[in-house]
Amino acid sequence: MTGAQILFLVCAGLILGSAVMVVTARNLMHAAFWLIAALFGVAVVYAILQAGFMAMIQVVIYIGAIAIMFIFADMLTRRDVRESRAQIGRNWPVAVLLGLLILAGLTALILAQPGVGRVAPALPSGLDPVAALGKALVSPDAYVLPFEVASVLLLSALVGAVYLAFLKKQ
Amino acid sequence: MTPSDLLSILPLLVLVVWACALLLVDLWLKRKGVTAFLAALGLALTAGLALAQAGEETTAFGGMVALDGFASFLNVLFPLSGLLGIAVAYGYLKRMNIERGEYYSLLLFSTAGMMLMAHAADLVVVFLALEFLSLPLYVLAAFARPRLDSEEAGLKYFLLGAFASAFVIYGIALIYGATGTTSLSGIVAAIEAGSLGTSGLLLTIGAALFLVGFGFKVAAVPFHMWTPDVYHGAPTPVTAFMAVGAKAAGFAALLRVFVTAFPALDADLTPVVWVLAALTMFVGNVVAIAQTNIKRMLAYSSIAHAGYILMAFVAFGNPATRADAVASALFYLVTYALTSYGAWAAVIALEKQDPSAGSGQAASGLEINDFAGLGRRRPALAAAMTVFMLSLTGMPPTLGLVGKFYLFRTVIEAGQVWLAVIGVLTSLISAYYYLRVVVVMYMREGAPETTREPWLDFTWAVSALATVILSFLPMALFAWASAAGVMGF
Repeated sequence: MTGAQILFLVCAGLILGSAVMVVTARNLMHAAFWLIAALFGVAVVYAILQAGFMAMIQVVIYIGAIAIMFIFADMLTRRDVRESRAQIGRNWPVAVLLGLLILAGLTALILAQPGVGRVAPALPSGLDPVAALGKALVSPDAYVLPFEVASVLLLSALVGAVYLAFLKKQ
Repeated sequence: MTPSDLLSILPLLVLVVWACALLLVDLWLKRKGVTAFLAALGLALTAGLALAQAGEETTAFGGMVALDGFASFLNVLFPLSGLLGIAVAYGYLKRMNIERGEYYSLLLFSTAGMMLMAHAADLVVVFLALEFLSLPLYVLAAFARPRLDSEEAGLKYFLLGAFASAFVIYGIALIYGATGTTSLSGIVAAIEAGSLGTSGLLLTIGAALFLVGFGFKVAAVPFHMWTPDVYHGAPTPVTAFMAVGAKAAGFAALLRVFVTAFPALDADLTPVVWVLAALTMFVGNVVAIAQTNIKRMLAYSSIAHAGYILMAFVAFGNPATRADAVASALFYLVTYALTSYGAWAAVIALEKQDPSAGSGQAASGLEINDFAGLGRRRPALAAAMTVFMLSLTGMPPTLGLVGKFYLFRTVIEAGQVWLAVIGVLTSLISAYYYLRVVVVMYMREGAPETTREPWLDFTWAVSALATVILSFLPMALFAWASAAGVMGF
């Protein structure tokens, strides 16, 4: 096993373990911190995949902005951050069984794919992935339309959130 | 970016820019009626531009979007449904004391998302369009807050919608994993190259997850649990817009993706769609019988109609019936849109805020029994409602009969006689609860209080007239839908 593989396994364990904690932690604050751990693990996976820019974005946006917003929102809106009611529904054994079955099926399928186990080739020297990503995002023949749609989508979400958050003055 | 790229999505661009401008202009407008008028003007302009595009066939933005008969047909249908969404809401929002300019801009944004869905020729665009049309709808469902049922509707719709989006994106990820591309033409090329091997199964699972995600959006059984609560809790004009627009957009995505990219998966997916369609028709129609609230009854009716449209999908893999499948689904969508808007308009005419309950409470006048005596009090409205109920059942002389006939014919031509039999039988069941409304309106004594608003009256009157007249002259609509049945990505 190479160093990268060991690192990946450690990260995968960290991501999965933290993700389970996010949904089972009774204290919302703890859940938010576990979420940060999971997001950090994903950032490391990006780094292992040689996607340095994505790793950085993951840390800056997801941990730096979104997770911190969660924590702020929790602290500002809730008096009690602990969940007192049951968090797991009655049908959980069925759900776990179904989930495991799907996981096993998909894992078997993906392992049967050609190319599994092959070592990824190193990036060609002289390729600047960040520049390529940037160009793809604004190129008319690539992703400029989805990119612009995403911005309008966020605008409408923002308007909706403001509408829901502010009570009409009576 | 060439000008032709922009020209091919011109109606959509105009609508998005109009919606953004409306957000700003609304800040200076004291009278929200002006906002409504401006929003309607934008939608009318969009519909006109889309109509002018009919017959064009091209792809733009490197294959991200397509302009073809299918897109231009739906791009006329969506703004028109938005227009009716404004017409039924105009008086209602005032009456319920929730008149806010955001209603109109959010409705415009949602319509733009639906139009993008009709254009989408790449799974990335499909997903973005899905979110773009859904997010404003989540807010619109909660528009009457702090009314509790409206808040509940918004939250439920949001959570289930996010859940459905997760299915869609998981499906897209597997499809991408199997074929190495998200563009529909690329997927077709990858399948035709025949080198998928075990990836073929991965592709099928991806397509199935995609179907599940959109099954939530179009409210197909067993993914329908949210529908009655959301349709019941949301302000009625929003429900009307959602029942027509979101359903049509969901089917637009399913039709486009399945008919262009997945005909090769026919053997695996047709039985799944068959069961979904049969279950949806059966459960929707049977559970509707037990409803006493008109909004919940129409919600189950909307589920049942999703089942009828799903029937068209069993024909998608058969090259001989594929174009007919799309055309009959589109034709039925128009039928359903007209009839359902009319029925919801009638519901809005009877709905009133309960004066004894305070502003935080639900509206009243929504029980089926509240329609008692409507035949005497408002003969025209009762006659229109009768037309809608007949059309939803599929009886002459209404467009519902023509639409169902066309659907059943396509299904039988595709060789699925049993599914057509289930369709006919469930239509018979549905007659019971649709005609009950008619019986209550004419045979029971009562003094329903109704609202007379010019735009609301306009909506149900026009819908009723169109439902009857188009049933005698369906050929133009038929020809147009057939032209839309041919997709060029």
